[in-house]
Amino acid sequence: MSEQSKPENKGTSILPRYVALLLIGIVIGSAVGYLVESSAVESERSIVSQLQDQVAQLQAVKEYSIGCTFPLTGDLAFIGTQFQSVAEMAVADLNNQTARYGLKVRFNLVIYDDKTTPEVALTNVQTLAQAGVKVVIGPAGSSQIKAIKSYADDNKIMIISPSSTVPDLAIPDDYIFRTTGSDVGQSQALATLISGQGMKKVLVFARDDDYGVAFGQFFKKDFEALNGTVVIMNYAVGQTDYSSEVAQLSTKVKNEGFDSVLMITYDTDGANILNHAKDDATLSSIRWFSSEGVQGTPQLTDPAIAAFIQKVKLYGTRPVFKENPLLLNFKAEFKAETGLDAGVFTDKVYDSVFLAGWSIIAGGYDGAAIKEALPKVAQNYYGASGWCILDGNGDRLIQDYAVWTVVPKVGGGFEYQDVASYSSGSLVWG
Amino acid sequence: MLSWSSLFTIYSILAISLNLEIGFTGISNFGKVAFYGIGAFIAASFGIWSFLLVFRLAYPLYGLNTIIALGKIAAANPLLNVTVFFVSISLSFIVAGIFGYLITYPTLRVGPAFLGITVLSFGELMRIFLRHFKPTGAASGLMGLPHPFAWINDSTMKSALFVISALAIMVIIYSFSQRLVNSPYGRAMKSIREDEIAALCLGKNVLRYKAQVLFIASGFSGVAGALLVFYTGFVSPDLFVTSVTFDIWAMVIVGGMANNRGAILGTAVITFIDRLAAILNFIPWFPLDPNILRWMITGILIIVVLMFRPSGLLPERTLKTPAWETIGLGSKAISTMERGRALVSFLFKLMIKIVDWFKAGGR
Amino acid sequence: MIAELLNTLWVSSIYSLMSVPLTLSYRVTKIINFAHISFITYGAYVAVIFSLLLPLGLIETSLIVFLVVAVLAVLNHMLVLSPLMSRGTNVVTLMIASMGSWIFLKYLLYALVSSAQKVLRVDLFYVTPNIAIPSTIIIGEFRVSTFLLISNAMNIMTLLFLYVFLMKVKLGRAMRAVADNAGLAQITGISKNAVLNATWILTGGIAALGGLAWSLSYYASPELGDNVILQVFACSVIGGLSSIPLTFAGAFVIAFAENILIAWLHTYLGLDVSFRPFISFLTLLLVILIRPPAGGGGGLPYRFKLPFRGDKKRSTS
Repeated sequence: MSEQSKPENKGTSILPRYVALLLIGIVIGSAVGYLVESSAVESERSIVSQLQDQVAQLQAVKEYSIGCTFPLTGDLAFIGTQFQSVAEMAVADLNNQTARYGLKVRFNLVIYDDKTTPEVALTNVQTLAQAGVKVVIGPAGSSQIKAIKSYADDNKIMIISPSSTVPDLAIPDDYIFRTTGSDVGQSQALATLISGQGMKKVLVFARDDDYGVAFGQFFKKDFEALNGTVVIMNYAVGQTDYSSEVAQLSTKVKNEGFDSVLMITYDTDGANILNHAKDDATLSSIRWFSSEGVQGTPQLTDPAIAAFIQKVKLYGTRPVFKENPLLLNFKAEFKAETGLDAGVFTDKVYDSVFLAGWSIIAGGYDGAAIKEALPKVAQNYYGASGWCILDGNGDRLIQDYAVWTVVPKVGGGFEYQDVASYSSGSLVWG
Repeated sequence: MLSWSSLFTIYSILAISLNLEIGFTGISNFGKVAFYGIGAFIAASFGIWSFLLVFRLAYPLYGLNTIIALGKIAAANPLLNVTVFFVSISLSFIVAGIFGYLITYPTLRVGPAFLGITVLSFGELMRIFLRHFKPTGAASGLMGLPHPFAWINDSTMKSALFVISALAIMVIIYSFSQRLVNSPYGRAMKSIREDEIAALCLGKNVLRYKAQVLFIASGFSGVAGALLVFYTGFVSPDLFVTSVTFDIWAMVIVGGMANNRGAILGTAVITFIDRLAAILNFIPWFPLDPNILRWMITGILIIVVLMFRPSGLLPERTLKTPAWETIGLGSKAISTMERGRALVSFLFKLMIKIVDWFKAGGR
Repeated sequence: MIAELLNTLWVSSIYSLMSVPLTLSYRVTKIINFAHISFITYGAYVAVIFSLLLPLGLIETSLIVFLVVAVLAVLNHMLVLSPLMSRGTNVVTLMIASMGSWIFLKYLLYALVSSAQKVLRVDLFYVTPNIAIPSTIIIGEFRVSTFLLISNAMNIMTLLFLYVFLMKVKLGRAMRAVADNAGLAQITGISKNAVLNATWILTGGIAALGGLAWSLSYYASPELGDNVILQVFACSVIGGLSSIPLTFAGAFVIAFAENILIAWLHTYLGLDVSFRPFISFLTLLLVILIRPPAGGGGGLPYRFKLPFRGDKKRSTS
């Protein structure tokens, strides 16, 4: 019995305890450090030295932080890495601009990766808030925004998302602002485009998530108002390959006689779908239309897929104002910097950084003040994505759309081109 | 710091429940996220539905009108808010527990090697099913669940009260687990882990033990899920992917299996390490990409801990059953009840101190 | 229907290439290796990056991919698994250690890909290897995708090679001996270390070939391994985690469920196409529950029976 009473490993158990204590100490220490830093006590000073301080402050350059949470890894890494490059470009341009205007402010970026998950997005916003950052650009996905909404509203952190389009986030008087037009507008643009092309029976092939389902339903409403017929087919997302879904699509098109397919996808799955569709005889004999998801992916300029796109005369819409010279500058700058073509929503990221910066200058570095200042700043701001006026819900009010397709390039190869623009109800070609 | 604590509490409840399963009873549950998700959805659905029911609003569970209506209701009805909170938590415990109980038969039928993938597929099936299930919002999920303390205007106070409730629940679960384990029941659990056939030969009803443990542990995961949805006010099937299960496994293994304190320590290490690593983003001259490093550190940490301390940071201890203590073995034979009492009074004083400190204008 | 059949053939060969090495490594080491995910992804990316830097043909790329990832697998074993195994840690801990190396390797790949993208100025997050192969060839009157033929060819060659290796070659038979009973094998003079190293070389190499086949057929992305791993595991599990021919059959079953079964369910029962992943997991669950593999790769050595109601009640419970 007495042998059993000896506790196990008495002698060697010291090290892990110290390691555990060390880790706990680090945690507590960093927590204490934050708390001490942020609750600094002001000491009393004489009036002269206070005035001297004020003069020095007026002459000093103030540095503000803009936080970002982008999907640098995970399913949206393709877009997230572009967002990172664009945000860095934007902040450099913004600092040049404020220097040119003689303002004594500079901005720096703190970019976090959120793995395309809602939880890490929340963690990032919490960490940024902890460090005193009041404005966060991102996250890219709508479900991520929904996860951070209550924290942002409670702690007065302004969130500017450049790429979320779901209609159910159009909530007034909160701390979420979105600089991309809602899909309500885009589905109207698509309905106008497709019925203008003479199509009567459309099969919608949409992602089975928040974005795709909502978009499909809005499109159905809009197209049926124009006397057309719509059937929606959702496909499971997160797969690596969609050949079987495309086979189903083909069977359905053949059996029920649709004259066109509208694909509502993201980039990777859209490219995969087109890759399979090009090998299918039924699908090559009807018209295709698309949302903005797949625009910009290099795969579509691949000769085989581009030939398919030409054959089915695929037109897509995307939220951008075609005739905007600032957009062309932005695209050229991005290409020079990274060698890639600017993907969808990158222009919105660029403008979001500028809007964040100017709101800070207008309202000061406080969450509630920035929230008041942003709509006013946005009202007068015309950037790479066009007029950035916001509506009552904090979402973009005026969103024009461009109709894009893939055309042969001079000197061989293929490229993307915008062939028409849609603005407040009317479609203009050319 | 507050915000960190809420997620930490939720994960530590999950870690304790996984510890009960794998650490003590040897059931490799790779589908933890399924029960987490079930608890979350039950809590969210019940929470929203009960509000709508009490006020006789005929909105569906999801949708813009619901969110706005709920926002107004919640701010005006404190008692209802808090009651719904606690009732939802109990409900998630029961429902998730039932699902855990149902999984016992597949657990027995396939062996330990295949148990993991079986439960994991069960988890994925749940998630895909929920993605299509219209009444709970399908892919969009449910938004706008009112915070249990939404009627308090001061947001710091709100978060502090939530953290305190979550901590209280965690303490209850922790002490329950400790009591459960430091007893003849715990000895039986360990015997099942070591050698099932021997346990059977000695007359232990292995089936019943496993079923009970799975019920309890899954119930706890459900409670964690309920806490999560009340914290963020949002639930969606995308929150419950398999990588969450792997994270919790890492917490349990790093902290130490078969040791409830180890589970909490492991959670602390994994939850805080990547927040701390995120601080590197603020140092502009840091040569490596801090974002990538932040995720790599978790992987390296797991390997390093396992290399030098394979049984985890806090190893398994002998069970302090009542018989053990009665005989007076072990140097400091303080009874569990006294320890429990001391812990509860300490925490109570701590809570009062925290509340005072926040009232005085801290963060 | 033809399209679905061809897809089944195509996907099953790739799944088989990815899951057979998993079965092999589990059978010899009894560790569920999470780093397998990384082997697949690294296979795809080694092909992508080398093909962008040098003009390579298919055979050279396959060789390079095999060698590089085989070395990676052996390094993973030497640095992570072997020290832990020599301390006698249990299988669950080894599995978590392999999870650690999976996480580390995954983000290492992200770092490498980001830097490569900055240097090469080409998008690398969704890319196919730059190997000059026509994507379809004409056989008789059919237009067949070349990649289907390539994947199937790789798969058949690998299976034949494994058969010959495991049955006839001395090292392969040693591998089977170690798989069955490591202690006895060592007594007869087989070097367990050599066998383990050989196992990891084969595992890493073949998984990498699977990644290469996938990236050729579709695309490569750093999340490639993560996205396919559940299906790959499903194939191995159907094969009982011990039998290579059954794993090959499992690959067929899963590919069938994903393509043809869902087509039938959609046409005849009106089931939404978006239930596709649901069907593959349901198939897996049904196979495991109806015929759980016993012995060998796992399973209880006995069938647990619920006590019959007529039994006398025991005094203890």
